[in-house]
Amino acid sequence: MKGSSRRKLIARTAIFAVLTSVGIFVLLPTFYLISFTLTQWTEIYTDVFVNPLIGDANWQQILRFSALSFRLSFVAVALDFLFGVPLAYFLARKRFFGKAFLEDIITLSLVIPTSGFGVATLLTWTGISGLGALIGKGIFEASYVIPFINVPFLMLIVHVALTFPYIVQTLQAKLEDLEPAFERASRTLGASAFTTFRKIIFPLSLPALLSGGVLAFARSLGETGATMVVASVHTTAPMAIVRWVSEFKLATASFLGFILIIVATVAILSVEFLTRRGGTFKIPKFFLAFRIEDKILKREKFLSGKSRWIKDIASLSAVAIVVVLPVIVVLASVGTYWSVDPDTGLFRGSVLYQLFGPPNYFNALMKATSTSFLVAAIATYIAACIAIPSVYLIERYRFGRILRYLLRIPLIVPTSALGLSVLLLWGPSGLRLAMPGIWLIIITHMVFSVPVVVESTIAGYEGSEIRMYENASRTLGATPYDAIETVSLPMLKRGIFAGVILSFTRSLGETGATFLVMGSDVTVPPLVVNMAEALAIPAALFASAYLIALSLLLLLLFRVVVRR
Amino acid sequence: MPDVKLVNVTKTFAKGRIVAVDHIDLHVRNGEYLTLLGPSGCGKTTTLRMIAGLIEPDEGMIYIGDKLVTGLPPEDRDIGYVFQQYALFPHMDVWDNVTYGPTVKAWIEEKRDRIGREMLEMVKLYDRSDAVPRELSGGMMQRVALARALAAGARLLLLDEPLGALDAKIRFELRYELRKLVNDLGLTAVHVTHDQGEAMAISDRIALMKKGKILQVGTPQELYMKPKHVFVANFIGESNFLEGYVVETDDRGCIIELRGGLIAHAIDKTRRKGERVVLAIRPETLSIEKGHKKVLNGLPGYIERFRFEGTDVRYEVTLKNEDTIVIVRPALMGEWINEGESVTARFSPDKSYLFTYPTAGLRRELALE
Ligand SMILES: Nc1ncnc2c1ncn2[C@@H]1O[C@H](COP(=O)(O)OP(=O)(O)O)[C@@H](O)[C@H]1O
Ligand SMILES: [Mg+2]
Repeated sequence: MKGSSRRKLIARTAIFAVLTSVGIFVLLPTFYLISFTLTQWTEIYTDVFVNPLIGDANWQQILRFSALSFRLSFVAVALDFLFGVPLAYFLARKRFFGKAFLEDIITLSLVIPTSGFGVATLLTWTGISGLGALIGKGIFEASYVIPFINVPFLMLIVHVALTFPYIVQTLQAKLEDLEPAFERASRTLGASAFTTFRKIIFPLSLPALLSGGVLAFARSLGETGATMVVASVHTTAPMAIVRWVSEFKLATASFLGFILIIVATVAILSVEFLTRRGGTFKIPKFFLAFRIEDKILKREKFLSGKSRWIKDIASLSAVAIVVVLPVIVVLASVGTYWSVDPDTGLFRGSVLYQLFGPPNYFNALMKATSTSFLVAAIATYIAACIAIPSVYLIERYRFGRILRYLLRIPLIVPTSALGLSVLLLWGPSGLRLAMPGIWLIIITHMVFSVPVVVESTIAGYEGSEIRMYENASRTLGATPYDAIETVSLPMLKRGIFAGVILSFTRSLGETGATFLVMGSDVTVPPLVVNMAEALAIPAALFASAYLIALSLLLLLLFRVVVRR
Repeated sequence: MPDVKLVNVTKTFAKGRIVAVDHIDLHVRNGEYLTLLGPSGCGKTTTLRMIAGLIEPDEGMIYIGDKLVTGLPPEDRDIGYVFQQYALFPHMDVWDNVTYGPTVKAWIEEKRDRIGREMLEMVKLYDRSDAVPRELSGGMMQRVALARALAAGARLLLLDEPLGALDAKIRFELRYELRKLVNDLGLTAVHVTHDQGEAMAISDRIALMKKGKILQVGTPQELYMKPKHVFVANFIGESNFLEGYVVETDDRGCIIELRGGLIAHAIDKTRRKGERVVLAIRPETLSIEKGHKKVLNGLPGYIERFRFEGTDVRYEVTLKNEDTIVIVRPALMGEWINEGESVTARFSPDKSYLFTYPTAGLRRELALE
C-alpha cells in the first residue's frame, strides 16, 4: 500500500516536471508574442497606425510585405501540389532503380541549411558559373519578378524546393497505407487510372494532402534563410521582422509576428479539426453533374493512355532543376572559384583569398561552426530529455491529444516571430534571463527541437504495436517501469534517434530566429547570409558548400538510422 | 457471354525468384462456374489478377471471348472482380458504390439508376442504399460488392475468396446464393478459394493448383473419384497413403506388397511388375472389424485412437507394419470399437487408386507449399 502511494507521488511529480518544462520552454515562447501584443496594444497601435512622424506608413509596409509573403506561399504550395502529387504517387506505387536515392534527395530538401541553399540557387540562376555558363551571362536578374502572379522568381523556386517534400512525404505515406484493393476495384469497374485518382485516391487521401499543404504553406510563410539571400530588392514578412528588430522597431515587428503566428495557428488547427471529423470528405455533387463528368472522363481516359509518363518526367525534372542542380552548381563552383575569380581572373575574388587572405573569413567560419555545433548539441540534448517523457504523457493521458496539437504549433510558426518572442520574453527587454548570445540561441532552438523529437518519436510509436508488447511484458510480471525500460524504450529507439538527428540538423540550419537572438555569437547560416549581403560571393560559396556537405553527412546518418 | 483461355501463362515476382504462376493452360467455358482451388500461396490470386489485367503475365496469352486481352488495361476488359475484403469505397454510400461502374463508364443517367436499383434489389439491399460500408455486416458488404461488380455490366465475374472473410454459417448460406445468382444471370465465373468443401459445393469444374501449376481440371466428382495425382487425392477429401511394390500383374489388376509384407489387390491394369507405387485409400471407404481376420484386402492392426466427431467417428489404426491409417465411419451405424483393440481394416479393390511413387518422395509431393 505504502509503496504504491509513494509510486503515485513520484509519477505525479514527474508529470508535473515534464509539463512545466514543456510549458516554459516550448509553449510560453510560442504564445508570448500574442500576449505581448495584446498587453502593449496602445503602444503598438500608436507606432503602427498613427505614428506622429510617419502616420500609418508602418502599417502600409506590413500590408505590402505580408501580401508578398502570402502570394509567394500560395503560388509555391500550388506548384508543390502540381509536382509533388505525381511524385508521391510515383514513389508510393512503383519500385524502380534509384528510388532510395530519390527519397534521399527529397529528405535533403528538408534538412539542407536554407541560407546555403539560397546561395546555391542564386548562383545557379544569376551567376555566370551556374546555368549562365551556357549563355555567357546570368539567366535572370536576381530581382526578376514573374508577371501576372507578381512573385519574385528566385524566391518562388527556392520556396518550392524547400516545401514540396511536405506534400510528397505526407501523401506518399498515406498512399502506401491505402488499401490497394480500392484502386484495383475501381479499375475493374471500368475507371481509368486518372479517374480512379480523382474519385477514389484523392478523396481518401485528402486529409493527408491538406496537412501536407499546411506544413508546406507554413514553412514557406516563415522561410528566412534562403529568402534573405535571394531577396535582392524584395522583402517578405519574416525578413521584415528580422530587419525591424535590428532597427529596434520592436512594436511594428511584434505586430507583424503576431499576425504570422495567428495565421499559422489558425491554419493548422482548422486542418486538424477538418481531418479529425470522419477522416474523409464528400466531394460536392455539383462537380459531378453528368455533362461535365462525361467530358472529364474522356479526357482522363486519354491521359491514362500512353502519355501518362509525361507527368512523371515533368515532376522528376522539376526536382532535378530546383533541388539537385543548385547543389551540384554550388559544390562545383567552389572548385572554379578556388584560386581565381572566373569572371575577372583576379586572385582577390577567389575562395582562397577570402578565406585565408586579409578578409580572413576562415576564422569566422570556424568560430561559427563551433558555436553552431554547441548550440545544436545542447538544444537537442535538452529537447530530447523533455520530449521523450512528453511522448509518454501524450500517449497515456487524455490531455495528451491537446498537448500534441499545441506542440505542432511551434513547428509551423515562422521562426523569426519565434525568435522575436524569445527575445521579448527572456531577453534584455523582458525577464533579462539571458542576453543575446549562445544561451538565448539554445533556448530559441529548443522551442522547435522539442516538437521535432516528439513528432518523430510518436511516428515510431504509432507504427508499431508497442502497447501490445508492453501488455505482454506486464502479464509476464514486469512492473510498468520495467515494461517501459525493457520494451518501449528499445522499440522507440529508432524514432528517437531520427528525431534527434532531425532536430540537430534543423538547429544547424536555422537562420530566421537565430538572427534575432545571437548577438555576437554568430552561427554558420547567418554568417552565410552576411557574406552574401556583403557580396563576398566566394566566401559565401565556400560556406554554403560546407554547410550542404555537413547536411549530406547528417542525411547519411539519418538514413542509416531510419532504414536499418 | 465470354469464355476465357489462358495459354502458357507465367508470372514471376522478385526478379524471377518467386514463380507464382508456372506455364499454365486453362479454358473456362462460356457460362461455366470454375473454381481455382489450392493451398494458399499457390498462385490463384495471381492468376485471377492476370485475367483481370491488374497485373500482366511475363509470358503467355490470355483471351476473353476470343479477344487477346494481354496488354489491355483492366477497365477495358468488361469484367467484374470481387475482392476478398470487398474493397467497398469507404467514402461512398452503398448506392454510389454500386453505381460507380455505370458512372465512370458515363452511361446515361436513366440506365445507371435503373441498373443500380435492379442490382440492389437483387441482393436485397435496396433499402440500405444510403448506408456507408462500415455500417454493414460482413454478409451485406459481400452482397454489395457483388452487386457493384455486376452493375458495371460484366459478363465475366472474377471472385477472389469472396466468402473467405465471413462467419462459417453465413459462408454456407451465401455460397448457394452466389451460385444461383451467377446461374440465373448466365455469367461465366472464376472463383478462387482454398476451401475444398466450398469448391466441391459450388463449382461446375475445379482447377486444382499447386505451386503455380494446375494439376488437374475436372468436375468435383472427377477430382474425387479419379484423382490423377497423389496431391489431388489428398487435397480433395482425405486419403491414406501406403507405399509398396507391384509383385504380380494379371488381367484383373495387380497385387501389391506393402511394407512389412502386407498384401493388397488393386484393379489397376497399367502397372508393371516391380514398380514402386503408392496405394491411396479414402478413410470413408474403409470398413473395420474386431479381431484379425484373413480376408481380401484386410489389413491387421489395433486402434491407436478413437474420436467422436458428431456425424462421424474416426479411428486411427496402427497397422502391423507400423504405418498408421485413418478410418471414418458414420457415428450411428454399427458399434464403436475401443482404443487398444485388435482390428482388421478392409477396403474394396475398386475403391482405391494406385500412383507411381513420386520421384521427389511422398512427403514432398503432399506438402502444401
Ligand atoms: N506482388 C507480389 N510481389 C511478390 N510476390 C508476390 C506478389 N504477389 C504474389 N506473390 C507471391 O506469389 C505467390 C503466389 O501468390 P498468390 O497468387 O497470392 O497465391 P494465392 O492467392 O494462391 O494464395 C506467393 O508465393 C506470393 O508470395
Ligand atoms: Mg489469394
